[in-house]
Amino acid sequence: MLVLKLIQSPIKTLHSEGTPGQVAAGIALGSILGLTPLLNLHNAVVFALIVVLNVSFPAAMLGWALFVPVGFLFDPAFDTIGRALLLGTPALRPLWTTLDNAAVAPLTNFNNTVVLGSLVCSLVFWLPLFFAARRGVVRYRATVADRIRHSRLYRAVAASKLYTVYRLFRPEP
Amino acid sequence: MRVALFRWKAIGPLLLVGVVGVGSWLVFADRIAKATAQAVGTTLVGARVEIDRLHLDLPHGRVELRGLTVASPFEALENLLQADALVADIDPLPLLEKKVVIDRLAATGLRFGTPRLTDGRTGGRSDGVMGQVTRWGEQLQVPALALPTGTINIDRLDPGQLNTPRAAAALAARADSARLTWEAGLRGLDVTATVDTAKHLAERLRGAKATDVRLLGDARRALEQVKRAQERVLGLERSVAAGAAALQGGVAGLADAKQRDYALARGLLKLPGLDAPDIGAALFGPAAVDRFQRALYWVQLGRRYMPPGLLPRATPGPSRARRAGMTVRFPRAHVEPAFLLRTAELSVELGAGGAAPRTYAARLSDVTTDPTLHGRPATASASAPGFRLGAVLDHVRATPRDTVAASLVGVALPPLRLPSLPLRIEPGSGTVALSFALQGDQVRARWTMQSDRVRWVRDSGAAASATGDVIWRVVSAIATLEVSASLTGSLTHPRLGVSSNVDRAIADRLRALLGAELAAAERRVRAQVDSLVDGQVAPVLAQVEALGGDVTGRLGGQRAQLDDARKALEQRLRELTRLPGVRLP
Repeated sequence: MLVLKLIQSPIKTLHSEGTPGQVAAGIALGSILGLTPLLNLHNAVVFALIVVLNVSFPAAMLGWALFVPVGFLFDPAFDTIGRALLLGTPALRPLWTTLDNAAVAPLTNFNNTVVLGSLVCSLVFWLPLFFAARRGVVRYRATVADRIRHSRLYRAVAASKLYTVYRLFRPEP
Repeated sequence: MRVALFRWKAIGPLLLVGVVGVGSWLVFADRIAKATAQAVGTTLVGARVEIDRLHLDLPHGRVELRGLTVASPFEALENLLQADALVADIDPLPLLEKKVVIDRLAATGLRFGTPRLTDGRTGGRSDGVMGQVTRWGEQLQVPALALPTGTINIDRLDPGQLNTPRAAAALAARADSARLTWEAGLRGLDVTATVDTAKHLAERLRGAKATDVRLLGDARRALEQVKRAQERVLGLERSVAAGAAALQGGVAGLADAKQRDYALARGLLKLPGLDAPDIGAALFGPAAVDRFQRALYWVQLGRRYMPPGLLPRATPGPSRARRAGMTVRFPRAHVEPAFLLRTAELSVELGAGGAAPRTYAARLSDVTTDPTLHGRPATASASAPGFRLGAVLDHVRATPRDTVAASLVGVALPPLRLPSLPLRIEPGSGTVALSFALQGDQVRARWTMQSDRVRWVRDSGAAASATGDVIWRVVSAIATLEVSASLTGSLTHPRLGVSSNVDRAIADRLRALLGAELAAAERRVRAQVDSLVDGQVAPVLAQVEALGGDVTGRLGGQRAQLDDARKALEQRLRELTRLPGVRLP
């Protein structure tokens, strides 16, 4: 039942709540949480953005859930990229040195190869992901959404009480 | 439709989340800091670090630890140290830069070498710094003392390991090459034609007139040819002499190679020589190597975590479900180091010979992860009656210099098991001192141990042997123990030297007991070497000898012919030029 409730709000979001842009922005921001190691300071900022900006919160949670396994999968690549940026690019060394000796910045763990590599990748792919997600939501709503909405599973999910909590973070028109 | 950018009604819940986060930090900060300190300490030391309680008092810049236990990275059921309490005055501002600057640390109730119930070692003997130090210790090659129980066995001698046959083959090849060269030189001299021409002209001069200018000219040219031929012969003689000397050097090299083969064969006896240093190394070498390994372990840890210079430093990232990666630090000049302990005052409890422990004061200063930034070497010192400790880890410059010296008087010395002997020494109370200096790659270390009341314990389960009985009679009469071990050279090629009063006594007795048998065994292995080597060496020696004599003899004959021809020609020419009134053109 709990699982059903957890997936209720993203499904509803895909169907009617919020514009495709709000949903796509939520998914793209949530992907940063999923792609980068979670317990880092930059993710607190990303979480605050998800809450404060008028993006779809459930979509952000959906993006997070979707991209956690992707993050695990691509960790070796993130490690390599981070290593190349931190150690293999002398031109960037003054920047890292300044950041490493500045206040607060070292607390973000930017100097960890996996954190930096995954953060850079998630930022680079943020815009492509946003546009792809927006296009995907539009096409979804135009094609299979009606059939899903009338399915028994969807009706069971939509009837959950979690919907009340979800309304708090529902994208505003 | 225009969509609002911000969701203002979510500010409240966000602030609530923030407050919950701060509240959680206040509740769990001590636990998080304790877990972090334990994890970092365990990684640094290579053994489990346990803390009973840790309290962060950031508003007052203070951290308190109670019940610190650091397991030994060397011994399974022993702690390196335990401390009742540590209080650190920290500078809060550098914490924002993820730096820890401790202005003053006070530690009380420090105890060393206390027992523990579980194995606190976290890494294997082959991991990290411990692995490096273990491999380093293995290259020191302490000889094994194998006491003979009857006849001395000799392992089979592998002819392929012998040096002499290889040297003989090389010498034979050189002799062949020299022979070919010299014969070519002899053929090139063409002495016979020159001598024949000279003799022919000398005959013609016999009945010639002094006015036969043409004949006289031919005679003079022939004389010049003879002189040049003599010079060529002389040059070849010098070359042959030098070559023969080189071949004789090769012959001497064969003798050296044979001596090396004798030594190799002696090694098959599996006995160190009956010299005291060999026996000392066999008896006390493992104990000395163990002490030097421990000192090197701490010095190498210091070099790993306190490296000189300001280059970026990569260390393994934090342990987590995701990949750890590497965390890279970027030190910068004129800023605080990532970690700095300015001063630490330690209250150390030491037991002296089983007596109640006494409390001594020790001091640490300038311990930092960035010595080049800090500009001062890390130092440690402690001084008390019967106890002295001093250490300087100078990593300020490019070449690190580490020096540690410690001595303890009247301390209970641990028992020592003597390898290969069914004996154990219980030194009781005595003096132990260790000095260890490592400058760059060059090591100079010394370990000494003295005791006036040694107790010898014989292994009851060991099989009795005549030699073992003799050694037991020798050592059981020794009441004092003086061991001295030194280590010199580079870390890659260290040299270990060990001596003690025990090994000298044992050496004397072993020499008397085993001298005759060992000499016979040595004769047998020498004969074995001779049988394998002589058959290959003798023809080469004969070849070298014959070659020198043959070429020298042939050269001598040619030189004599040239001398005779030259004398005859000069004689005829003088006779012709002695005629009165005649001037040669």
